[in-house]
Amino acid sequence: MRNRIVLAGLVLSGAAGLLLPEQAAGVPVFARKYGFECTMCHSSMPRLNDFGQRYRMNGYQLPDLEHLEKTVLESPAPVALRTSAGFTGTQYSEDAQLPAESDLRLNGLDLLSAGQLGRDIGYLLVYVPQIAEARGVAAQDGSLEMASIVFSKLGSSSLNVRVGRFEPAYLPFSVKRQLSATPYEVYAAAFPEGIALAETQTGVEISGYGPSRFQYAAGLVEGGPTLRAIDAPGDVYLRLATVIGAGEGQTAGHRLGVTGYVGRARPTEKFDVSRSPVGFYRIGVDASLNLGVANLALQYLMARDDQALWDDDGEVSYAGGFGELTLQPRVDLVCFARVDYLDAPVIANRDVTRLTAGGRFYAVDNVALHAELSHRTEKAVVEDQDDLAETFVTARVDFAF
Amino acid sequence: MTRRIWAAFTGLALLLLASPATMRAEGRIFANGPLPPIPVPADNPQTDAKVRLGAQLYFDTRLSADNTISCATCHDPRTGWANPHPTDTGIRGQVGGRNSGTVINSAYMRFQFWDGREASLEGQAVGPIHNPIEMGETHENVVRKLNAIPGYREQFQAVFGGDATIDGIGKAIAAFERSIVSGPAPYDRYLMGDRSAMSPAALRGLRLFNGKAHCTPCHSGPLFSNQGFHNIGVGMDKAKPDLGRFDHTQDPADKGKFKVPTLRNIAETPPYLHDGSEATLLDVIEYYNRGGTANPGLDPLMLPLHLTAREKADLVTFLEALTGPVPQVAVPAFPMGEGVIADPKGGLR
Repeated sequence: MRNRIVLAGLVLSGAAGLLLPEQAAGVPVFARKYGFECTMCHSSMPRLNDFGQRYRMNGYQLPDLEHLEKTVLESPAPVALRTSAGFTGTQYSEDAQLPAESDLRLNGLDLLSAGQLGRDIGYLLVYVPQIAEARGVAAQDGSLEMASIVFSKLGSSSLNVRVGRFEPAYLPFSVKRQLSATPYEVYAAAFPEGIALAETQTGVEISGYGPSRFQYAAGLVEGGPTLRAIDAPGDVYLRLATVIGAGEGQTAGHRLGVTGYVGRARPTEKFDVSRSPVGFYRIGVDASLNLGVANLALQYLMARDDQALWDDDGEVSYAGGFGELTLQPRVDLVCFARVDYLDAPVIANRDVTRLTAGGRFYAVDNVALHAELSHRTEKAVVEDQDDLAETFVTARVDFAF
Repeated sequence: MTRRIWAAFTGLALLLLASPATMRAEGRIFANGPLPPIPVPADNPQTDAKVRLGAQLYFDTRLSADNTISCATCHDPRTGWANPHPTDTGIRGQVGGRNSGTVINSAYMRFQFWDGREASLEGQAVGPIHNPIEMGETHENVVRKLNAIPGYREQFQAVFGGDATIDGIGKAIAAFERSIVSGPAPYDRYLMGDRSAMSPAALRGLRLFNGKAHCTPCHSGPLFSNQGFHNIGVGMDKAKPDLGRFDHTQDPADKGKFKVPTLRNIAETPPYLHDGSEATLLDVIEYYNRGGTANPGLDPLMLPLHLTAREKADLVTFLEALTGPVPQVAVPAFPMGEGVIADPKGGLR
């Protein structure tokens, strides 16, 4: 019965999106505030274009038009809702000994608010309500996923300071605004109980532009959950990038970047507080190349962890990356294909490969029909273990109201 | 629990879909609505007599040093009240560096001239008179010439209660220019509920204008201009570029910035940009599509757009839908006096 309700909701929402394009267009939080279409900042929602990237880096203010901004005291604070609903299915290889999963369901829900607290002071809040697993509804943990304040143009026109919980700039390719529903494997990897790069961080970050279109970002963040309060903040990072040609490397220009992340974490061993924090680091290089309607994203990342973090005596290092090709022949259609790999002998003694392909059609700017197929394999690197595989498929509707 | 979540989700979705007005208009920072009533300065109220006097002065070449150039020479009513040539040609064949902007709806502009050096229409109206390249006359001499013409002297007496002054000349011409306002364009009629006023291509162009083409941040408001100044790189690759607003303010941040022009009736006023370097609207869109001309002060919102051929055509169609009717003004009869000769453009020289 509930599946029928979900299906009916999808059909009705899709129909509403198709029949009411004027009403539905440009309703998410920023677009509603300014009166823009979503495509002002998004090449394909949620992926940012160069305009959106500069807007975000400027503390959610339009660069050079800051005087036109209205604060939350001058106009109502805009609130948006994002969710998706549809079919998801996962099938595992026989050796995994896991049952296939499939469901027609609501996949996550979050509430977002953003705007200006004052001139050159922006804020972003993303609240994820707790939802219990139920038929037709995917479970999610409640959290304040992001809550940050951005102070823009401090001292110079190119220095911004972000404080709070945010998606750090050390990720060249945002996981919060990626098109694919499946994770970038190298960003999701972490030592046991450690923090994955894909997770939001709490701390402070400075970022901006230097001479010759050189971009920088540096941060001091809390790091993983294995540190106690007295240990934090524990991690620092630095990112440098440059763009060849006009643009930010999102949809125009060619961006080349390098990122370093150095952290400390307490060996888990059931959080034995008597053990001192030990170190780990990540070094990555990346490129975002744009040619017409095509974007090629390349990421390579090396990781090295203190072996105590793994409770292992072996070599504790791994490397991985991905290459993702995105094609957007029309403003309402985008296709993507990605290869992930993770050469991770320590992580369950398996190398990970993921092949993903998908597409999104935008019935209106803020309603996307999403289809995706992803095949993930874990290849055993020791003889007595079997290879594992899973195939993920989804066909769903993404909403941003 | 599930039922409650679905109920909340459905309720919120319906609320948002059913209340487009709450989502679309109120509180938006950028809204391109219809033109408001004409702003009229308290010290220069509109009167019919003043507008008639201003019309005569606007078309009268005797405001120039050699009686060859009038306001209408460069702001010609037959070419959208603008100059159909890339840049202006003033007295003695001197060529200026900028394209004459349209007079249509200039009443609404907070700044006049491409570099915004004049705040009022009254100030703008008398500026070209003593520009050595444009009309090459002195304010003192033009006042003397007009006071020597009985017909003008009588009108100035009637309108301002005294002889012609440079202040009165500016006020009269400004009053006339305030009468040159465009009526509802197809875009305005569409906003007022006439769904047939804009073609599907124009509607697609509207969405591009407000989205992928990134036009709205600068071309916003009833005039389709935020009335600000921006460096979009035009001419900045030249050896000695026109620095625009900087020449007036001397603020290094203003180098290469020019006033955002209105887009109302833009289809009637080729060529485009401050130097008239783009012949058609499609050429202008191509320029923006390339991301402008790189220079140190290039506006951060100038970025390559990746517009398709159809999208460019749709944008042009939308811009054409911003054309509203403009008052038809016949060249008036002039008070006779010295220096009046026939003007091949229909006025007097």
